Amino acid sequence: MTLLTVGLSVLIFSFFLLINTNIIKAGAKLGDDIRLILFLEKEPDPAMTALYRKKITDFTDVKEIRFISRDMAYKKLADQLGNDSDVLADMGSDFLPPSIEVYPNIDLKGLSEIKLFSEYLEKLSGVVKVQYGQEWIERFHYFTELLRVIIILSGGLLVLTTIFMVSYTIKLSVVARQAELKILRLIGATNSYISTPFLVEGFLQGLIGAAIGLTSLYFLFDWIKKNFNNPGLFNFFEFSYIPTSTTLLILAVSVILCTGGSIAAMRKYLRI
Amino acid sequence: MVELVKVSKIYPPDVVALENVSILIEKGEMVFLTGKSGAGKTTLLKLICGLEQPDQGLIEVAGKDLSRIRPKDMPYIRQKTGMAYQDFKLLPDQTVAQNIAMPMQVVFRSIRSIKNRVSELLEKLKLDGKHDTLACNLSRGEQQRVALARAVANLPPLILADEPTGNLDGATTRLVMELLEECNDAGSTIILATHDKSIYSNTAHRAVQIRDGYFVPTENN
Repeated sequence: MTLLTVGLSVLIFSFFLLINTNIIKAGAKLGDDIRLILFLEKEPDPAMTALYRKKITDFTDVKEIRFISRDMAYKKLADQLGNDSDVLADMGSDFLPPSIEVYPNIDLKGLSEIKLFSEYLEKLSGVVKVQYGQEWIERFHYFTELLRVIIILSGGLLVLTTIFMVSYTIKLSVVARQAELKILRLIGATNSYISTPFLVEGFLQGLIGAAIGLTSLYFLFDWIKKNFNNPGLFNFFEFSYIPTSTTLLILAVSVILCTGGSIAAMRKYLRI
Repeated sequence: MVELVKVSKIYPPDVVALENVSILIEKGEMVFLTGKSGAGKTTLLKLICGLEQPDQGLIEVAGKDLSRIRPKDMPYIRQKTGMAYQDFKLLPDQTVAQNIAMPMQVVFRSIRSIKNRVSELLEKLKLDGKHDTLACNLSRGEQQRVALARAVANLPPLILADEPTGNLDGATTRLVMELLEECNDAGSTIILATHDKSIYSNTAHRAVQIRDGYFVPTENN
């Protein structure tokens, strides 16, 4: 029962961690495409272009700054329209505003930085409007925040259940072995002799419980990967298992928690 | 080896078990504590092995004042004291061999030496066929012998036996006494509480009578 509870807690926690890891990974990939478009009042002259470049790079590190003139914007739109480009025939080539495309070195986790950057750019003279796909970036950000809260909560659940269940199991063992423990004390058993089996029990519960949880997660991961392997989803980014270092960390934390739970129980019930 | 100086023990509300008793038991000595039931023999043994605390007086075992021993050091004192309890204190759901092996496991003796010692003790106490019998399936006499075997298993420097022959016939009593004599010859100090006059009346060992919480000299022969 304790093993299953520990295993289930580890499974719940590591499942959300798996989702979070992959979402962050996807976010990093999407973050490569983040760009802010600054629509300008008028075509900047070379001096103004240099000033914009300086102001932008003074605020943050950027991968690329691209100046789009009215003509370039028109050509781009015409290319995008393809065969339907004739709809532009009567409109002249200067109806689109000039713009600057900025590719910042900020990933999706830095939503507040993007916002700040956008507000800064909006205040530059000659800038009419700044666009950066605000809505979906915010939604993504809130989703990752929600996941983070779930991970913290499930982590708390893991801590509470492991400590509670293990200390409860040790309590039951102590009660069941009361007579034996009393006799062991009478014949000179030291505290470490008496407590070692309980410590080993707690250690093994943590180790085996976490192994059950992580193995179950791996099978779940494998099943998801096989059954949801459509081009729209996992071809966009590689759905991967939590890193080995994180797996080992979960295993270690589970062992520490369970051993800690058994130490706490021994102090309380064995007065060791 | 054991020294009691003006030791008193009173159980609540006002039952005097021992009053102002003093005795010196030398290393390697075998002493019989005699007296009627309720005279204070068991209380004295419990005080010597640290199971009870005196209300007054000093108890020294192997030169150490028991009242000054820290709780964490108490196990090491008990490892050097084998006690055969009047109520046996065996683990009923464990075998005879497991019960006898316990004190040897506690001091981490090798499996082979534990096995050999268990077999040797079972043979000496005529319990050869009971090796794997659960303690709860033994007669009282057999349980008593297992309790004694457990007490002497490590051949401790001090052996305390509380009525070790209380449930035994004459022949088995002789086996038990032979085993205790053997331990005594090997250097163990033995304090044996009994009201069976036949086991101490013809020995050269000292017998001390307790009556109503006091020591009274006893004639051996």
